[in-house]
Amino acid sequence: MKLFMRAAAAAVLSLSASVASADVVKIGLIADFTGAFAVWGAQFQQGVEAYQAVNGKTVKGPDGKEHEIQFIYRDATSAGPEKSKQLAEELVLREKVKFLAGFDLSPQAMAVADIATQAKVPVVIMNAATASITRNSPYFVRVSMTIPQHGAVAGRWAAKNGIKKAYTIVSDYAPGYDAENYFQKEFKAGGGEIVGSARTPQQETNYAAYMEKVLQAKPDALFMFQPAGSPSIAFVKAYVERGLKAAGIKLIGTGETQQIFLPQFTDDVIGVVTSFHYTETNTNPANLALKAQVTKMFGDKAIPDIATVAAWDGTGLIYKGVASLGPSAEGIKYVDFMKTQKIDSPRGPIQIDANERDIIQNIYIRQIEKRDGKLVNIDIGKEEMVKDPWKLDNPPKSN
Amino acid sequence: MSLGFALTILLDGISYGMVLFIISVGLTITMGLMRLVNLAHGSFAMIGGYIAGYLTQGGTNFYVALLVAAIIPGILGGLAEVTVFRPLYRKAELSQVLLTIGIVFVSTAAVTVIFGAFPYPVVFPEYLTKPVDIGFRTYPAYRLFLIAVGGVVAIVLWYLIENSLYGAKLRAAVDNPRMARAVGMNVNVLFTGTFMVGCALAGLGGAMGAGIMSLEPSYALKYVVLFLVVVIVGGEGSFKGSFVAAMSLGIIDTVGKYFFSQAAPYLLYVAVFILLLWRPQGLMPAKSVA
Repeated sequence: MKLFMRAAAAAVLSLSASVASADVVKIGLIADFTGAFAVWGAQFQQGVEAYQAVNGKTVKGPDGKEHEIQFIYRDATSAGPEKSKQLAEELVLREKVKFLAGFDLSPQAMAVADIATQAKVPVVIMNAATASITRNSPYFVRVSMTIPQHGAVAGRWAAKNGIKKAYTIVSDYAPGYDAENYFQKEFKAGGGEIVGSARTPQQETNYAAYMEKVLQAKPDALFMFQPAGSPSIAFVKAYVERGLKAAGIKLIGTGETQQIFLPQFTDDVIGVVTSFHYTETNTNPANLALKAQVTKMFGDKAIPDIATVAAWDGTGLIYKGVASLGPSAEGIKYVDFMKTQKIDSPRGPIQIDANERDIIQNIYIRQIEKRDGKLVNIDIGKEEMVKDPWKLDNPPKSN
Repeated sequence: MSLGFALTILLDGISYGMVLFIISVGLTITMGLMRLVNLAHGSFAMIGGYIAGYLTQGGTNFYVALLVAAIIPGILGGLAEVTVFRPLYRKAELSQVLLTIGIVFVSTAAVTVIFGAFPYPVVFPEYLTKPVDIGFRTYPAYRLFLIAVGGVVAIVLWYLIENSLYGAKLRAAVDNPRMARAVGMNVNVLFTGTFMVGCALAGLGGAMGAGIMSLEPSYALKYVVLFLVVVIVGGEGSFKGSFVAAMSLGIIDTVGKYFFSQAAPYLLYVAVFILLLWRPQGLMPAKSVA
């Protein structure tokens, strides 16, 4: 008994010693957990927690010690960029976070550029998709996507697949213009003709008049960029109801048909083709692992989407950085490390652009089918390792 | 521009206008009758829509679901009138606005908790989701259904207000509530009844119109401006006015989207601006309800 007590005491002592010497790496994750964009925060958190459950909450540094990785979540409340800036200041100054992460909306990410640069804190952007964002701070690294990646690939695919005339309808905000520009540009470059275009209010759900106009123009395909949720559901409904589908006009989109939104669509959506960077039905080992873990932790109703995947990859990137540089390297060293990384993501192989710190990834062409009574996206093609086309068109100014 | 095409735009505008009319007519009459600025009217439409969505997703007959979607908001409206709204009638507009906008937030939060933040579909019968041949083209059956139901509702209401005793009392009370009380009419009961009918119609409109105005937790706030525009353009308390206003706005909106799609979001408000400069009291100001 005495021996046992002594052994136990020694064990406790050595344990506390190792805890004391290891550092806690704090990561401040800013996203919307309440309000109109609350889905994003919840999905980010699931992605992070799933990754930590699979890979552990500690990382062994180059010094051989285990360092705890601790995420601190902050709610940007679906409010303006000011809120996100204020949260970032609090996390950097008070919590002394080593990394910032998250950011579902572009203005939120842009708002923390100055803080990141001044405090030398790397920022892992897990969604915010405006092309130019990574130019705002040398500490920004993006693991999600850019809108032009999707639009450009959709345009090239359409031109190569027998579509001669196309019509575009996009939502009237910056990402809509990006999608419209790059679809039209690549489609025309491939020999296609744009026979008409329209921009619709962001929260539009009454598309009858727009669809009539498309019918009159008789295109081979209609390209859409609509916010996920009510607008895209109403769009597809009007497309079928107005006889566009019956008239053989193909509907092409981007992120509208993510699996998480599919249960709200009717079977009308079958046959819609989209260009996107993550297809939930792909059989990559990393994707299967992610899906199994999310189901195990959060139940059958939890569906991984791009936010989950980006959070999973972003967390992985930070883990690798700590594993190779330890818990207390300079911020810019982590960024330099991340720039060289290639990752087997649940979406497929991805890479961080060494010059732009932006994502390079496969863009998949998918079609909606019904399998086992459920609507799903099925890959029917892909373009490998697509860089952000906007950055290629707008090279950095040398000064 | 062919005739068939002009007809199509007209049908689109009218069907949209019908939904606006069914939802807003109750608001018009209660605003005219009780001088109550009720921003929470959209909440009753939303509740009706969610009830219909919940029932039809569970396999209930569509028409039964519509009926329930009208009855429950009607009952809720009656309860709310007696408990919440009645003390407000004599208060200043600011109190009315604050309390009713509060109800909007409460209903939005409640719907998010119960049904989730995602859009919530109403399952329409198969035959309403298909286009049908109407001679010169195929046209969505759903829109024809909206026009038919809206037309029936308008005729029934018109008959009630013009020809029934209830209608006569209603018109009297709108014209001069003090005099109506003085001659012995129970104006409180009249108010409650009218409020219930208004909320029931809102619920019906929210359920039927879900194919055009999608159900989501922000519904009550998103569309309240449209409902108020119908009331103001038509003239407070004016039944005919709200019909004409809803039709005009539906058609202006559709034509705008078709011919000036880039300016469509503003065009409706420009039209409202001009209409109100021309007739500040609305198209058909209520000397009486009818």
